[in-house]
Amino acid sequence: MKDSLCGTDKKEMTRRTFLKMAAGSGLLVGLAGALSGCAGQGGEHAGGEGWLPYQYNVAGNLPAQVRGRIPIDADNPSIVRDDQKCILCGQCLETCQNIQSVHGYYDLPVIDETICVHCGQCSMACPSGAISERDDTQKVFDALADKSKYVLVQTAPATRVALGEEFGLPPGTWVEGRQVAALKKLGFDAVLDTNFTADLTIMEEGTELIKRIKGEVKKPLPQFTSCSPGWIKFCEYFYPELLPNMSSCKSPQQMFGALAKTYYAKVKGIDPASIVSVSVMPCTAKKFEAQRPEMNDSAEYWKREGLRDVDVVLTTRELARMIKQKKIDFAALPEEKYDSLMGEETGAAIIFGATGGVMEAAARSAYFLITGNQPPPLFLNLTPVRGLTGVKEAAAEIPGVGTLRVAVCHGLANGRKVLDIVRAGNAPWHFIEFMACPGGCIAGGGQPRTAVPPTDAVREQRIAAIYKADASRPKRMSHDNAEVAALYKDFLQHPMSELSEELLHTEYHSRAEKLKRLFALVG
Amino acid sequence: MASAKGVLVDITRCIDCESCVVACRLYNGLDADTKGGAKPRQTGKNELAPNRWTVVRDNHVQKDGKTVRRFVKQQCFHCVEPACASACFARAIQKTPEGPVVYNEKLCVGCRYCMIACPFGILRFEWDKPFPRVLKCQMCLSRVADNQMPACASVCPTRAIVFGEREQIVQEANKRIAAKPGLYINQVYGAKEAGGTSWLYISDVPFEQLGFKTNVPEKPIPEYTWQVLKWTPGIFIGWGALLTGMYWYNKRRATVHNEEELYAPVDKK
Ligand code: SF4
Ligand code: SF4
Ligand code: SF4
Repeated sequence: MKDSLCGTDKKEMTRRTFLKMAAGSGLLVGLAGALSGCAGQGGEHAGGEGWLPYQYNVAGNLPAQVRGRIPIDADNPSIVRDDQKCILCGQCLETCQNIQSVHGYYDLPVIDETICVHCGQCSMACPSGAISERDDTQKVFDALADKSKYVLVQTAPATRVALGEEFGLPPGTWVEGRQVAALKKLGFDAVLDTNFTADLTIMEEGTELIKRIKGEVKKPLPQFTSCSPGWIKFCEYFYPELLPNMSSCKSPQQMFGALAKTYYAKVKGIDPASIVSVSVMPCTAKKFEAQRPEMNDSAEYWKREGLRDVDVVLTTRELARMIKQKKIDFAALPEEKYDSLMGEETGAAIIFGATGGVMEAAARSAYFLITGNQPPPLFLNLTPVRGLTGVKEAAAEIPGVGTLRVAVCHGLANGRKVLDIVRAGNAPWHFIEFMACPGGCIAGGGQPRTAVPPTDAVREQRIAAIYKADASRPKRMSHDNAEVAALYKDFLQHPMSELSEELLHTEYHSRAEKLKRLFALVG
Repeated sequence: MASAKGVLVDITRCIDCESCVVACRLYNGLDADTKGGAKPRQTGKNELAPNRWTVVRDNHVQKDGKTVRRFVKQQCFHCVEPACASACFARAIQKTPEGPVVYNEKLCVGCRYCMIACPFGILRFEWDKPFPRVLKCQMCLSRVADNQMPACASVCPTRAIVFGEREQIVQEANKRIAAKPGLYINQVYGAKEAGGTSWLYISDVPFEQLGFKTNVPEKPIPEYTWQVLKWTPGIFIGWGALLTGMYWYNKRRATVHNEEELYAPVDKK
């Protein structure tokens, strides 16, 4: 090596030789020698010119195929990412852009927030498990351990056809009874059913639709469904001018939350402040929805500060984790039944979990609400709105109003196609169902990651289980739900009553100032 | 002689996905922070460190009367005439003709001269190691020498990081500014700062609001750093002793507070 170390032996100055030298000759002398001595001889440094930077060894492991990923903000209430697991495969970005049409549909620079509708579909596509739901299980364990709290839980329609997959059961296994048993074992004081408020949603939303058609409510048609919080935020971001089309009905989760701390607390004689309202959802966006500031109607009702309608939202995956942590043998559990008052379901509520289900359930009850008669068999098997086609249409004759035209779409990129038609004023429909996730809630962003990326095969198995359960129910129409009827009789009076409006309906807010939207991808 | 490469960071296009940060860590084999599951955004760990050669800083700034967020990818600027290299008597830091300013840990004596010389305060010292190194972005030298873009630029989904010949990059920066004069402020940061840098930035908000040093001299810094410092071993020894002292002081303090404070002497907030 041709390095000049003060003209003596030509050697590379390494940390070792430097320290040896410093130790041997005294630090000061050594340093002074190294500094002034070398600099004096033609201005060369002690290390010389001789090393080749190209020898710099790259120890790392950047995969051959890398792409960018979606941004996830630190305060995203729904999803988090573990950077240690991310392999930069870009699947999340692909999903967010192509399936949900969120990433890439706003202009840069960003304004003041990271654009995300919280659908969690990225977490379903992430092959390394880097993206997951924000874990709220500890909050629930803490509440369950607190004896002064009354912890009640609601379970969404779609969790009961997927939870079993976390415990080795095949996709689409019906585990409703075992899910109830597991929740009771975990120590919840009451295990109730979101299906109860799904039926209630139909009563409210169906009534609203009829009032819009008859012109009693001065709001535009088509009416949009409002059960999917990812879809709602999407509309608030990208199509705020169409928010008047959105049904004012809260989602079943939030209707349930508002009633849990009012109606349920009243009937059961429980202090609403001691209630911890938990929900188990197939959805990450529900975590965001529960945190929307306006979702505190129980606080308004009681004129008491600090009440939230839904306190903690768990995804199906988190519930599975809790069951595993408590070492409950899920598959072997006996079937148990939901508690009463807010625990009854009909087939119409069950199908909320699948794309097209809300529409079908609404059609069944709309027929009844308009004509006063039970609908013909077609309404109990509305096949045109079932299945995994991205955009579906149907028309049904209802005596007295004529032809009811409906559309159904799932996955927000499909939703965008429908919205562009509505925006252009070319929509022939009265009612449109939107769900953020492809396949509907059964394939929501909080469901078990049985196939990564999600496959239609798994979606179809879960959907089949939903329709099978619907077909086997003695009651298949929301207006036949006896507990819902009792709720109206004893508390709310009738659909869209003043109290219903207060507790079950809501408003939406344009988020146009959060982004500069683009209607098409720019490369 | 290979032509010098450059990189443009267009701050208006950064969405804070931190793909670049992860790519850097994977390519250079840097340890992930184990505490907090390596979620820099979620743990607030977005300061440069010996194992974080690039970070994306989140700035809340005022623009047209509204608060906006602007994200700034930070790493070594790879000065055209690097003060760090010229301050290093051991020649552990070299400027390559391709542009990257590269550090060789075998030659480093650990004197931290480079750290005081760097006008941007980029270098990070491994305070906690028995044989500490001074670490920073190497601009993926083996890739760049092979005319490939650095790892971070290769993953940026919005093309906020653009790689090319430095001269073309300066032109590209000016072209973007000229195309949208209403958007960008009329300055290419790094065109002249510290005598010119290989990493250049354009922005729609003034650089000083984004934490950029705007008092960096335009004259290349090596012209005076080495000249001044090389004849003053007394200062040098004193500085080393001071840093060592500070190290022990901080180490003690760190056990009381938290580990992050180890970087306190070199990080400026
Ligand atoms: S949750 Fe949905 S909107 Fe948010 S980043 Fe993931 S895919 Fe995109
Ligand atoms: S899908 Fe997962 S592993 Fe792939 S880039 Fe996104 S976060 Fe990283
Ligand atoms: S990869 Fe690009 S967009 Fe993402 S943080 Fe880095 S510079 Fe910004």
